[in-house]
Amino acid sequence: MSNSKSNHSVIKSVLYSVLSFFLAVSLFFLGIACIVKFSLFSQDFMMNAMASQGYSAMIQDELKSDLKNLGHASGLTDEFVDKFVDSLDISGVEYDYVKAFYSGDNTLVDTATFKQQLYAALDQYVIDTGMDPEKVSQENVDYLVEKATSIYVNDVSIPFFSTIANYVYKYDGPLTILIAGLAVFAAIIAFLIIFTNEFVHRRYRYLCYSFTTTALSLAVIPTVVFVSGYITKIGIATRSLYNLFVSYFSSFFMYFYFASAVFAVAAIICFLVFYKRYKRITGHHSHH
Amino acid sequence: MPKHHHRRHGSGIDGKNFIILPILFSAIILISCYIYISVAASSLISLASLFFSDRESDFSESYTNIYVPVAETSDSSRDERETIPISSVTYPHVGEQFGELIIEDCQISDKLFFGDGTIPLNNGVGIYNGSFIPGYGKTILVAGHNNTYFNGLKYAEKGQKVKIRTSYGNYVYEITDIQVKKATDTSAYDLAANYENLIMYTCYPFDELGLTPYRCFVYAMPVSGPAFDKNS
Repeated sequence: MSNSKSNHSVIKSVLYSVLSFFLAVSLFFLGIACIVKFSLFSQDFMMNAMASQGYSAMIQDELKSDLKNLGHASGLTDEFVDKFVDSLDISGVEYDYVKAFYSGDNTLVDTATFKQQLYAALDQYVIDTGMDPEKVSQENVDYLVEKATSIYVNDVSIPFFSTIANYVYKYDGPLTILIAGLAVFAAIIAFLIIFTNEFVHRRYRYLCYSFTTTALSLAVIPTVVFVSGYITKIGIATRSLYNLFVSYFSSFFMYFYFASAVFAVAAIICFLVFYKRYKRITGHHSHH
Repeated sequence: MPKHHHRRHGSGIDGKNFIILPILFSAIILISCYIYISVAASSLISLASLFFSDRESDFSESYTNIYVPVAETSDSSRDERETIPISSVTYPHVGEQFGELIIEDCQISDKLFFGDGTIPLNNGVGIYNGSFIPGYGKTILVAGHNNTYFNGLKYAEKGQKVKIRTSYGNYVYEITDIQVKKATDTSAYDLAANYENLIMYTCYPFDELGLTPYRCFVYAMPVSGPAFDKNS
C-alpha cells in the first residue's frame, strides 16, 4: 500500500515536471514573440535606435562628404555643399521614410524636394560666384543634379529595409495572434498546475521551475550573441548604418535580458511563497 | 512523524531540483531550437555569415603613408632601364599613400595613393587598383578630381614630363597624347597591355559648373625608372 502511494507520488511528480516544462516552453516562445513585437515590429523602436545614435546627423555628415567628392569633379566648393546639406531636413525625410515602411506605404525616398532645393541653390551659386549664366551648360547641371540625387537616395536609404519592412507589415497581425495563442496555451498549463495540485506549495514549486527555465533560456541567447561579438562585426560600409545596426540589435538583445529579469522575479516570488507555505505545512504537522 | 509528512508534501524543499531541473529544461529548449534552426535555416545562416567579417569595421578617414623618398638617380634612357628585384618592393595596400606624382608644367604635385576611393581622391590622386604600380611593366591608371588635384591636367601637352616618386624608385614618363572620351569608353585604356604605360584621367570639362559623362585622358610612356625583375 505504501509502495503504491509512493509510485503514485512519483508519477504525479513527473507529470507536473513535464507540465512545468511545457509551460516553460510556451513562456519562452511567448517571451520571444513579445520581444519581437515590441522591438523589430515597432516603428518607435527603430526611431529610438536612430535618435540614440544621432543617425540623421551622421547621414548629414556622410551626405556632405559624398557631395563634396562630387563637387570636386563638378565645380562646387566645399562651403557650398556644407551650406546646402545644412539646409536639408534630413531627420524629417528619415522619419517619413521609416514611417512609410511600417505603414506599408511606398518605400521610395522622395527626391522632388531635394532636386528643387539643389536647382535653386545652384542658381544662387552661379550668381554668387559671378559665373556667366550663358556659359553654364544646363545639360551638365542636370547631369550633376541627377548624380547628386542618386547619392542622396543612396545615403538616406537603408539597404534591405524595404524587404524586411514588407515582412514586418505582413506578419504583424499573425504575430499578435501567435502571442495570444501562446498566452492562452501557457494559461491552460498554469491552470492545470495550479488547480489540479492537492497542495498549494507544490503549485508554486512547479511554477518556479517554469519561470526559472524561461528566465535562464532567455538570458542565454543575448549572452551568446554578445560574447561572440557578432553584432559589431557586421560588414557595413557606412558609419551611420553600422552604428544604427549595432544600436538596433544591441537594444533588441537587451530586451531578452529585460524579459529574463521579469521571469526571474516571478521565479523568486514563487520560490518564496513555496518556501513559506512549505514551512507552514511541515511546521503545522510537526506541532501535532 | 515529521519525516512522514515531509514525504507526503513532497520530498522536502529539495533545493537541487530548483537548480538542476531548470538547467535541464533550458538545455533541452535551447538545443532543440539550435538543431531546428541550423537544419531549417541553414541556407539563411550561410547567407547571413557573408555579411559578417572577423573584425570590427573601421570608418577612420585617416590613411597610411608608406612613402619614403629615395634619392634621384641619373636619368637613363628607356633602353637602359635598371631593374630591381620584385621581392624588394613593398606592394601598397588599397588606400595607402606610396608615392607622389609631379607634373611641373601643369603645376601638379600630388600625393599618390594605391586605390581611387574617396579618401585617396580627397587627399591626392589614386591608382585604380585593377591596374598596376610603376615598374611592374603594365598599365598604370591614375584618377584625380578635375576641380582639385588634377585641375592642372588642363595644361597638359605632349612632350611634358611626369615624375612619379616611390619608396622603391623614381620614375619619369613623357606625355604622348591627350584625348577626351566618354567614361564608359573602354577603348580609352587597355589594362591588359604588356608594356608599361601611364594613363591619367579626370572629369571633363575643367572649371565649369556641372558634370558630364566625359573624361580627359592623358597618356604617357616611360622614360626612366627601375623595372621590376619578376624572376628574382
